[in-house]
Amino acid sequence: MADKVKLRQLDDYRWEIPREGKMRTRGLVFASGKMLAKIQEDQSLQQVANVATLPGIEGPSMAMPDIHWGYGFPIGGVAAFNLEEGVVSPGGVGYDINCGVRLLRTHLARREVDGRIEELVNTLFRNIPSGLGSRRKDLKLTIPTLHEVMRYGAGWAVKNGYGHQGDLEHIEAQGRIPGADPELVSDFAMDRGKDQLGTLGSGNHFVEVGYVLEVFDEKLAGALGLFKDQVTVIVHTGSRGLGHQVCDDYIKVMLKAAAKYGIELPDRQLCCAPLSSPEGKRYLAAMAAAANFAFANRQMITHWVRESFEQVLQMGPKDLGLELIYDVAHNIAKIEEHVVNGKKKKLCVHRKGATRAFPPGHPETPAAYQKTGQPVLIPGDMGRYSFVLVGTEQALTETFGSTCHGAGREMSRHAALKMARGRSIVQELKAKGIIVRGAGRATIDEEISEAYKDVESVVEVAHGAGISKKVAKLKPLGVIKG
Amino acid sequence: MNPGRPRRKKYRQLSHTADLGLRIRGATPEELFENAGAALTAVLTDRRRLRRQKVEEIEVEAPDLEALLVAWLNRLLYLYDVDAFLGREFQILELNPQSLKARATGETYDPERHLAGTAVKAATYHHLEVKNRNGRWEATVILDL
Repeated sequence: MADKVKLRQLDDYRWEIPREGKMRTRGLVFASGKMLAKIQEDQSLQQVANVATLPGIEGPSMAMPDIHWGYGFPIGGVAAFNLEEGVVSPGGVGYDINCGVRLLRTHLARREVDGRIEELVNTLFRNIPSGLGSRRKDLKLTIPTLHEVMRYGAGWAVKNGYGHQGDLEHIEAQGRIPGADPELVSDFAMDRGKDQLGTLGSGNHFVEVGYVLEVFDEKLAGALGLFKDQVTVIVHTGSRGLGHQVCDDYIKVMLKAAAKYGIELPDRQLCCAPLSSPEGKRYLAAMAAAANFAFANRQMITHWVRESFEQVLQMGPKDLGLELIYDVAHNIAKIEEHVVNGKKKKLCVHRKGATRAFPPGHPETPAAYQKTGQPVLIPGDMGRYSFVLVGTEQALTETFGSTCHGAGREMSRHAALKMARGRSIVQELKAKGIIVRGAGRATIDEEISEAYKDVESVVEVAHGAGISKKVAKLKPLGVIKG
Repeated sequence: MNPGRPRRKKYRQLSHTADLGLRIRGATPEELFENAGAALTAVLTDRRRLRRQKVEEIEVEAPDLEALLVAWLNRLLYLYDVDAFLGREFQILELNPQSLKARATGETYDPERHLAGTAVKAATYHHLEVKNRNGRWEATVILDL
């Protein structure tokens, strides 16, 4: 099936899927020639072409270099739709609404945590519920409180003592997507969310203590408060069961809506509704509610990260300096203003496994980063490294201000488990200086480094194509996995 | 290789780069749905270690049989998220293309006793298929992990 998709190389990093058949626009894939062979093995390019058939699409249907086969939209997919004829699709956001990453810095140098990582990891593991169906026994939310969480996002968490006001300035959309309407979130979704706020969940979600291994741009790194050998923390999680249920609920709505509005679908999972329709508007408001839940979730986990460091290192918050650098969403649809053919236009930008990468001077780039561009956080697998980049003008004009989001799997979980059989992944990582704790052996084995593309190759494409700029490379020291 | 009639497996897992597919079989649509429930539990934990301690009565509706399969699996995921309930056995009491009534027998997940398998976010509509092949039922559903 995959070999049916035609590809034309534009330059070292860009490939075009020419407009054909029912496609309303072309496809644009960011990848190196070497990566492309692997990409062509599955159906992700067909998915880029499928997205190009949806009504009201503006610019090309795009895929970032970490593209892989998703359901409906590919993972790594970016597509923008105008508000008049365009559509919104829950499949273009994903089940884990506002899955995202945040990065914290510290005042600590690596040597100051020497010999303390195991204790840190154990403490984090104790303080942050993780794993299959993780829930907080100490924090069950009532429905009115849950509504507030969904309305105010990270702001709710700060107001209730989890973190401080300054954190909000360092979160995409200040940790609150406007227009959230909790009334449009089903009881089923709220049931799933009420004791999952402040939990990591499972799969590829993690909290990682690491350090700055390499600085690519001293000036940018300095402006972000990063220095070589500095201890850092990454939090990667999303909206948990609440978000999954919102997605599932609205896919059902959209299956009907697509038929009602006569939208032809090459794959049911692409189901969508016009942005101007009641169904489309309701989804966006429910999605915003779930996204705000996710912002609050990462904010609360940050609070427990700070507490864990204080407990283990016996240091106060001032000396630790655990400050938020930034928090990005990488599964989301947002209403943004972009320039299309020389004209300013409001668009609904879907980023499914893609990160916003706004340039210096953009009104939505936070005040602290007006000169550097918005920080972009690209986690790698648990055994290699992660990257910090910043957004660029090139991204804004070419990809609606978007870039990659991670390494991207290249091996199925089955193949990964097979490869991990008979090995102790925890011991192997320990030998490499990385302490890992997970709720289950399966999640650790499924997440072995070999199962992922080398995130460096993904970042090289994003940097080479100019849709973001490398700042620093981080290496893990200790990881808790769901 | 296998003399006589090979025993048909009730379900098997299909590799998919980021996610996981299930191929489910059954002599009747009811059996297909029962086996689908078992297949989902087998992803989440070691099904044989679950005791028959708790019974959940389940009713689900959907516009057609394929969507009903997704709705059924997602309802089971909901029960897991909310009550940590995992079904060992499933009995379909009533089934028509737009609704089903079922009984699931199993127990509450206990991390001390039960294997933590792979977390599932949702059953998806991507490449979803339910069909009758020479009198036997077969379904393919992809799970988002």
